[in-house]
Amino acid sequence: MLTPIRPGTETGNVAIFTMAKPGTQTTPDIDVEEKLKEAFARGWSVIVWNDPVNLMDYVVYVFKTVLKMNEKDASRHMWEVHQKGKSVVARETRERSELIVHRLRGFGLNATLEQA
Amino acid sequence: MICEPIEPGRWRLSFTGPEAGFLIQVLARLGKNYQENAARMPPALRAYWQGTISRGGVAGKDDLKEAQEVLTEARAELRAERLALVENWMREFELAEERDPWKVEISGTERDEFAAMLNDRRMLVALELGITEEDMEADPGRISNEARRAGILEIDVLGHFILVMLGPQIYRP
Repeated sequence: MLTPIRPGTETGNVAIFTMAKPGTQTTPDIDVEEKLKEAFARGWSVIVWNDPVNLMDYVVYVFKTVLKMNEKDASRHMWEVHQKGKSVVARETRERSELIVHRLRGFGLNATLEQA
Repeated sequence: MICEPIEPGRWRLSFTGPEAGFLIQVLARLGKNYQENAARMPPALRAYWQGTISRGGVAGKDDLKEAQEVLTEARAELRAERLALVENWMREFELAEERDPWKVEISGTERDEFAAMLNDRRMLVALELGITEEDMEADPGRISNEARRAGILEIDVLGHFILVMLGPQIYRP
């Protein structure tokens, strides 16, 4: 569905890991490493909440458009929202999750972000 | 309203005169809302336009404040983009030689934007009037409050426009 970016495969971030020699790391480097680890962890859930107005077919369409879900998965998540009040529609990196929340909200869906 | 594919990725929408008149009124109100300062709106509308990044105990955490600010900013930009779209649609109508039926050709992106815009209006009417699930399931003819009844009818008609454009989507095994 969504392709994660793996640490070490992006040249911009590789330098931080490969250029530091053992024993020469400083606290800021550790902070950077932790932040990178957090940034690449798919530990953020995108949740869509039920509301009285959005149409079922419209919600399915939005899931298919924004999340690239197939019709069956999109329908399953829509029914979950409708019957249980909410559905976790994606688990992604924080940055990616924020983007998804913004796009879902752009279509009028009540979407939020939570740390898994 | 009729929506017919004219080639892959393009559709033609046809509105009868009364449908076009209704749509233009809706777009005019929507345009006004897109221009309003969200900070001065009633709480429900403000919440819709500013957005909330999280719930469940993590909202308000320092590390999410930045994300919240980004979302609020993005929501403001979205309103400016939608205002430009509304103005384009209204200009198209003003320039149209024939308005009954009024025909408009749109791409897939324009179809998504138009559906999202109409849905904005549905959501805003519902928030303004405090429309509930029970209201949506009730027979509008039995709702005594005139503004509420008109609001629900507007939500229903715009919902019909959206469904005509997008077609049935739910998976039925």
